[in-house]
Amino acid sequence: MPDDRALAAAMLARDRKAAAEFVQRFSGPLVAYVRSRLQPRWEDVDDIVQDSFLTALRSIANYRGDSPLRAWLLGIARHKVEDHYRARLRLVELPEEGELAGDPGLDSLIDRANAGARASAILCSLPEHYRLVLLWRYWDQRSASEMAALTGKTVKSMERLLARARAEFRTQWLEKDKEVAA
Amino acid sequence: MNDELWMEQLAAEAALENSAPASSCLKSKIYSNMILAMEEGGPLLPLPDTKQAGRALCVFEHLVEILPAPDSVQSLQYCKVCHAKALGERMENAPIYWPGCPYCEFQNR
Repeated sequence: MPDDRALAAAMLARDRKAAAEFVQRFSGPLVAYVRSRLQPRWEDVDDIVQDSFLTALRSIANYRGDSPLRAWLLGIARHKVEDHYRARLRLVELPEEGELAGDPGLDSLIDRANAGARASAILCSLPEHYRLVLLWRYWDQRSASEMAALTGKTVKSMERLLARARAEFRTQWLEKDKEVAA
Repeated sequence: MNDELWMEQLAAEAALENSAPASSCLKSKIYSNMILAMEEGGPLLPLPDTKQAGRALCVFEHLVEILPAPDSVQSLQYCKVCHAKALGERMENAPIYWPGCPYCEFQNR
């Protein structure tokens, strides 16, 4: 990644035009990532993207060039998104123990062409705490125990919340299946 | 397949929708704030050094760059007093067209 290293070095030297190139090259991927993780609360996207860039600038001396600058920056954005999840989920009252539906009967194959659009639409329609735990657990691949630790909840209560969120997601997914079949 | 496995498979295969590009206003604001943060750490790289590194200067920066001025002058951020910054931070497709100006380059035209 010689170009990335040169750009990082120029930013470290406080070259204003290097900063402009940095913003121009990476704002698109960063906005796309943050939007996908915050949907549909897009009003927070700009703040998180901006905060990620400023954190990157402050930490640019730590960039060693062993991974693409884009991946390094996305890593920073991921932490910012997690901070957002954590702050939102800390406020949530987690569900008490209770019966959940049994086998979901989701053996049907995922229609790859439309899965992203459908998943996005369903996530947007879910209550915020369901949406955030699903994004965090499955798209950002945090374990339930990590999520529990980061939000100050018990693992059991986090697992219950995840189970309810999955059940709601699943119900809506199957309803869409029926609509498509009809 | 249980719903845990199914969700894992779905997330692995389904890239979530995120079609909107970065707005030029957002890029402009980020850039302005990054320059402010850079200045807090010390003077900016003087304009002659920026030019020597192969980076384009705008017409105003070029005027400063050819002056026999000390580094303290060459390191100032002249965008602060430029209309391109004011327009770029507030308007999409702002009517600014200076070559070498970051705020012009941020426009999604």
